[in-house]
Amino acid sequence: MAKTAQLDTSKHAEQRSPAREALHHLMRHRSARAGMVILGLLILMAIFAEVISPYDPTELLKDVKRREPPCIHILGCPADKPEHIFGTDGNSRDLFSRVVFGSRLSLQVGIITMFFAILIGLIIGAVAGFAGGWLDNLLMRFMDVLMAFPSLLLSIAIVSVLGIGLINALLAIGIVSIPRFARLVRSTVLSVKEMEYVQAARALGASPLHILFKRILPNAITPLIVQGTLGIATAILDAAALSFLGLGAEPPRPEWGLMLSEERNSIFSAPHLVFFPGLFIMLTVLGFNLLGDGLRDALDPRLSRSSAA
Amino acid sequence: MSKRFFFTLVGVLVLFSMLLTACGGGAAPAPATEAPAPATEAPATEAPAAPFEPMVVAAPDCTYAGDGMGFKSVEAVDQYTVKFTLCLPDPAFPSKVAFSVFSILDKDYLDQTQGDSVVISENPVGSGPYKVVEWVRGDHITLEANPDYWGEPAKVKTLIFRWSEQSAQRLLELQSGTVDGIDNPAPEDFATIEADPNLKLYPRAAGNIFYIGFNNKIAPFDKVEVRKAFAMAIDRQRIVDQYYPAGSSVAINFVPDFFDPGFSPDVKWYDYDKAAARKMLEDAGFDFNQTITLSFRNVVRGYLPTPDKVAIEIQAQLKEIGVNVKLEEMESAAFIDATAAGQKGFYLLGWGMDYPDATNFFDYHFANPANQQFGDLIPDLVKAINAGAVVADPATRQKSYDEVNKLIKEYVPMIPVAHGGSATAFKANVAGAHASPLGNEVFAVMDNGADQLVWMQNGEPAALWCSDETDGETLRACEQVFDPLLAFSVGGAEVVPNLAEKYEANADLTEWTFTLRKDVKFTNGATLDANDVVATFASYWDASSPNHKGRTGTFEYFNAFFGAFLNAPK
Repeated sequence: MAKTAQLDTSKHAEQRSPAREALHHLMRHRSARAGMVILGLLILMAIFAEVISPYDPTELLKDVKRREPPCIHILGCPADKPEHIFGTDGNSRDLFSRVVFGSRLSLQVGIITMFFAILIGLIIGAVAGFAGGWLDNLLMRFMDVLMAFPSLLLSIAIVSVLGIGLINALLAIGIVSIPRFARLVRSTVLSVKEMEYVQAARALGASPLHILFKRILPNAITPLIVQGTLGIATAILDAAALSFLGLGAEPPRPEWGLMLSEERNSIFSAPHLVFFPGLFIMLTVLGFNLLGDGLRDALDPRLSRSSAA
Repeated sequence: MSKRFFFTLVGVLVLFSMLLTACGGGAAPAPATEAPAPATEAPATEAPAAPFEPMVVAAPDCTYAGDGMGFKSVEAVDQYTVKFTLCLPDPAFPSKVAFSVFSILDKDYLDQTQGDSVVISENPVGSGPYKVVEWVRGDHITLEANPDYWGEPAKVKTLIFRWSEQSAQRLLELQSGTVDGIDNPAPEDFATIEADPNLKLYPRAAGNIFYIGFNNKIAPFDKVEVRKAFAMAIDRQRIVDQYYPAGSSVAINFVPDFFDPGFSPDVKWYDYDKAAARKMLEDAGFDFNQTITLSFRNVVRGYLPTPDKVAIEIQAQLKEIGVNVKLEEMESAAFIDATAAGQKGFYLLGWGMDYPDATNFFDYHFANPANQQFGDLIPDLVKAINAGAVVADPATRQKSYDEVNKLIKEYVPMIPVAHGGSATAFKANVAGAHASPLGNEVFAVMDNGADQLVWMQNGEPAALWCSDETDGETLRACEQVFDPLLAFSVGGAEVVPNLAEKYEANADLTEWTFTLRKDVKFTNGATLDANDVVATFASYWDASSPNHKGRTGTFEYFNAFFGAFLNAPK
């Protein structure tokens, strides 16, 4: 009885869909779990920002001194002082509320730019790989040009042309990330294009569009997910860097990079003002990187088999 | 093997020939540089022998200046006496010629360099307590005590000017001991410096004004009601309480309170009243959907120690009455140029006094056609300001200035916000350290007991000859090297003799006669005489003079202080 049950489960395991199998591997991956916990908390924070934050992030509080150190009642801060668990910033705004709302902004920035970059990259890579010939050459040389510049430098150049602002910064970071995805998709398309099942589909008279979208591109989704997750981390970091340089978000928006840049001069007199935004940038980037690593291990068939063994 | 030998031979030959040319090249120009040296010395030794030929630069009449101020003539009466004749009386004349922008150059040197600030900056020849050794652009300026200085020689042999925009960096360098003194520590660091026994804070009197400027030619600020409503919507007390160090005060008038004549205690600014401001905007048909751009430069000045924070504060305060504001941070020089050209409608700017007289504040801002920062000049205001500038009696002047302050309140060309206290900080062992209310600290009187004194200020000087400069960071460097006719007392604002031992004026204050010291030598060996003074002032005044070069050629300060240029191009 016991034996049949065991057999049953193993049989069941073999019948799992690839997606469920990947999820299974992912959940067993320790750093991926840590990444998911961090991101889960950040996403909850972003969704419920209004509920969590005690103040409006752009409201200049009256009756409060600027650059007050953190005041937490349960840790011995006198009860007659208003509670600011991260302290107040250089304009006497509540830093905790700003950091909380900053998470919303940063996650939006990362996800929107990556969505944009993946979409354009996918189209360019697929067209280049599938069509081949001069079109391939043209598109890929253009991508090479984009890659030849350091990404931050290129995004600074793009923002200078488009004008300062968060939307333009997003656009710039998105444009800079396109080549990575375009190359990835193209290489997958090239390697899959000559496979027998594709030729079979062609022989059966399938249209090129059908072959491209139904037979070839599904192969590219796994590496895109991995690269995209890691890319979100880079995008958040780049957006923070652009804002720090005064080229991204504009005051009074609660953007982490901007918060760092506003208070960089008070690093010795009020270190909490650069500590908390910096900490949250680090946590977010770390979360996406851990998850991305885990995803790569889980989705790569070769790696997953070896880790399961 | 033979190939190798051949290449070695070629290599040795090449090296040898390079060595030969290097030595030969070095030897050849040496006589060439020696040769002109006696040539330049020759006229210098001859000069005293030749009889003194007094120079005169004069305008045929005062029509060139219109109804305004202007020089009528500058003449050398004898070798050590200079006489200035003015078109209109000017009670502030001594304060004006004491300003470092109007320093005196040797006439031959001036003719050589044509008064070009860029050329002079390469090799400045002055008569001040220090002379320039080198200027490493973007890094530092090295100055050395002038051994031939006519006054008390500088206490410390080498003076180094450095600069950093970051107040945190300035303080860190002072704390770690790599610099001896810094300018403008951040307001939040005042307490740190006072608590440190190795450092000393020197507060600077608040002889300045921070204002929020409007341009009355740019909508929506072309309506006086809108400007007035904005004036009522700004909580100035909160700005001063939150963002200014001790020693600052909320502005009552445009000029600081110790200006007498100039300050009118009875003309109080609008009270903070959000509801009234909102209502006034509604009545004026203000469009609350528009976004107004507030321009500023993120550069720390004594009048505005935290520009970005104050900009955010103003943005938030205006949001409370429903006005949307977008902040525009600009590069410093571009910002100054854009406001002066009248391209910005709403901006943060300020003014530090150059000499303690109301003309320095009112005339430059509200009666100066060269400066369009507030848009069109207001004729009533110009009239009242000019009336105050040309009489000597303080009580009569005060009457005009009461009128000026009243008109400013009525027309609201800007919102006067604060008189900002600022400071310098030095190591405690620097004797003679001080902060000047005019921003011209004199390093020659300071002594740190070593051979080198390092000073760190906010920005790099734009030039080392200041005839055409307006920025305090630039002027401070020039002040160590060049001398004007008169000067301000060390750490004060009192006019004291400098190159001129004494001066006197006629009864209606239109003729000013200066008697020069006889022992002043320039660092090129020339001695000071009256012709140097006439030639230098002619280079400022006469727009057709070949020496009227400067850096940009606008000579903003001459224009603002002394009136029109002679032979100005139409």
